[in-house]
Amino acid sequence: MSELRQIAAVCVVGIGTLRDRYVPALVIVIGMACVVGVLTSMLSVTAGLTRAYLRAEDAARAIVWAEGADFDQSRSLKPDVIGTILDAPGIAREADGVPLADPEFMMWLPPVEGFAAGSLQLRGIGPAGLALRPAFRIVAGHMFGAGMRELAVGVGAARKFGLHVGSEVRLRDGKWPIVGVFSCGADIIESYLVGDALTVMAARRSPGFAQVIVQLVDTQAYPGFQKWLMENPAIDVSVERKTDYDLRVVGADTSFFTRMAYIIGVMMALGSLFGVVKIMYGAVRARTREIGTLRAIGFGSTPLALSVLLEAALLGAVGAVVGAAIAWLIFDGRQMWVWGAFKLRVSPHLWVLGLAWAIITSLLGGLFPALRAGRLPPSEALRAE
Amino acid sequence: MPVVWSALWRNRAESVLTLLALSVAFALFSVMIAINAAYEQAIYDTRIDRLIVTCAFDCGTIPLGYREQLARLGGVSAVGGELWVGGGKDPDEHHLTTVTFMDEGMRSAWPELPMTRADWRALDISPTGIFLTRTAAARRNARIGDTMTMNAGPGSGTDGSGTWFFTVLGFIADPTGWGQQWSPNMIVGNLRYFQNSGNPDERDLVNFLRVAVDRPEHARAVCREIEAWFTNATPALSCVPARENVEELMDANINMRQISLGIGAAGLFMILFLCANGTAESVRERLSEFGILQAIGFGNGRIAWLVILEAAAPTILAALIGSAVAPGVGMFLSHLAIKGVINIPAVRASPVALGWALAAALLIALLSAVAPLYRLLRTDVAAMIARR
Repeated sequence: MSELRQIAAVCVVGIGTLRDRYVPALVIVIGMACVVGVLTSMLSVTAGLTRAYLRAEDAARAIVWAEGADFDQSRSLKPDVIGTILDAPGIAREADGVPLADPEFMMWLPPVEGFAAGSLQLRGIGPAGLALRPAFRIVAGHMFGAGMRELAVGVGAARKFGLHVGSEVRLRDGKWPIVGVFSCGADIIESYLVGDALTVMAARRSPGFAQVIVQLVDTQAYPGFQKWLMENPAIDVSVERKTDYDLRVVGADTSFFTRMAYIIGVMMALGSLFGVVKIMYGAVRARTREIGTLRAIGFGSTPLALSVLLEAALLGAVGAVVGAAIAWLIFDGRQMWVWGAFKLRVSPHLWVLGLAWAIITSLLGGLFPALRAGRLPPSEALRAE
Repeated sequence: MPVVWSALWRNRAESVLTLLALSVAFALFSVMIAINAAYEQAIYDTRIDRLIVTCAFDCGTIPLGYREQLARLGGVSAVGGELWVGGGKDPDEHHLTTVTFMDEGMRSAWPELPMTRADWRALDISPTGIFLTRTAAARRNARIGDTMTMNAGPGSGTDGSGTWFFTVLGFIADPTGWGQQWSPNMIVGNLRYFQNSGNPDERDLVNFLRVAVDRPEHARAVCREIEAWFTNATPALSCVPARENVEELMDANINMRQISLGIGAAGLFMILFLCANGTAESVRERLSEFGILQAIGFGNGRIAWLVILEAAAPTILAALIGSAVAPGVGMFLSHLAIKGVINIPAVRASPVALGWALAAALLIALLSAVAPLYRLLRTDVAAMIARR
């Protein structure tokens, strides 16, 4: 019998006896389910935030801000430099020739009862801001008017702060009504209020934008666009691809949490690894006579060792699927707030990561028991009780 | 005990593996409990009778002149001003160097800042002096008398250069608290230096006014009065009691308090079945031994104690090992957090965490013993001796 057929046959025999050893097998499955469940649940925060910030259309977008002021609340980009920025080559244009670029800014509103200062934010956007966000839809009321003291609230902020059409928020020059509620394909902007940038800026009594979001004609246009702006002596700005900028923002928000998820994942995997070693040693002990018989009828030590490894990997994989499924059922799509509303996401990438995590842990755990199974002398194994 | 010991030592390799798995899980559990406790402590450390006053409408700074007006309000016992000036990167390249300039009022308005009377006096007579927290000093390898420079950008100083020179006067303990309390990586400077040498347009501005109130129960009322008093001022003020501010900030961020408990519970659940399986296997293999013990007069109670002790010995030992390891892991996590953008409060070993770990160990042992005991107590002595 070829080695491959021996491996297949021994695996079938081993898996067939799992029914008799279902309790220890269940221990591995539950252990791995816990490891993968915790890991994927924690990483679903990062995956959710990344999806809230990163949009497919961002690949051909750039973001421009005043040198040294790369934060949304800055007001360092003075209105007089905007025209120069819009003259840069490579900017896509609307049918009427208007550049597809929007100078925007963010501002914090006074604390809402029960929420930290800075929780409720207002984004000032211009006409191109809507063109840059094709998923933007008014779901209640109507859109704020240009030049009007009106605001629209994103569905995330509306839910979090209990705001609705007819609510009012305080700005520096008095109360502004909310005239509409919008959604934007789960974009992070759903966590904010939006208003006409120039009108809000006048009310804020502090001219200046934080950044200009630019739609480029294509992804290849970026180097020329960046070079033109960086080498222009009339302005002092920084430029970055929007995807890079967003990844940096998400990374800043989640870097510690992501690292912590992996550290906890490693710790739990280590605990689970010891458990797998113990259980698989027990499995080899329970199958000693069976192993002896197989060796006596001509099976090699490699197929026997591999069958133990494969059994461990199979149990780990089942545990990973169970853990990821539980995490998906509980957390996927659940609304969360980390300075902005987003939905937790147990992505396919996390399923694969969890599966790999569990299989590697199980294989490591099964290694020594597998070696023991392969090295069992048939005569001794056959005498086992 | 000899019976329990011999049972545990019967299969040394498996017992050690079980102990290792349990120890790792308890280390994780203890770290999570310690993180949770650190957040609770951070809230507790933040006094109710302290208020944080900021600009209401995103204007960043408020006039220092408001200080005197606030001090005259009923219930206010002290007011201090605080201004942050940042520039350049820390040696670790992760943080901007920020000097927190404080006025003399801060000494009474926020006495929790770990600066002694002598420190305040030294800062008062040496406007260019700074005090560094132990963390900030270690990060920069600073020594007393060193000159530290910070480039806060063109135009931040009177001479237009933007370069600020400081003399290290001494070191202070890392302050407790979290959020808009003090950062462990903090540099305290004298506001007078900025007032004398800063850009004339920004000299008399501060980011925060910190207010002490005479009685904790007055905090909210005083805050409301401050907001009402300054509602038509330019800029208007916003006020929040410091403890509420910390609680709100914790909820606005990733809620580590809730998450830590969930992770700790998952870790324990992971080992519950391992422990239960180990106990069940041990009892099954020693069925005849239990039969003989019953035959020579061991009652059900003593048999139950034997099984529970056998399950409890490794879990309690693992809880102790895990609790001993946990502070190290916690310190590593705190270190990671400080290097990142999110700060978590300092994670320390605590009797509370040890107590929870021991309680969890006992609970796991009891749950693990239930099924084997049920089987033992339902089997008659003859069947046990015959291993049926």
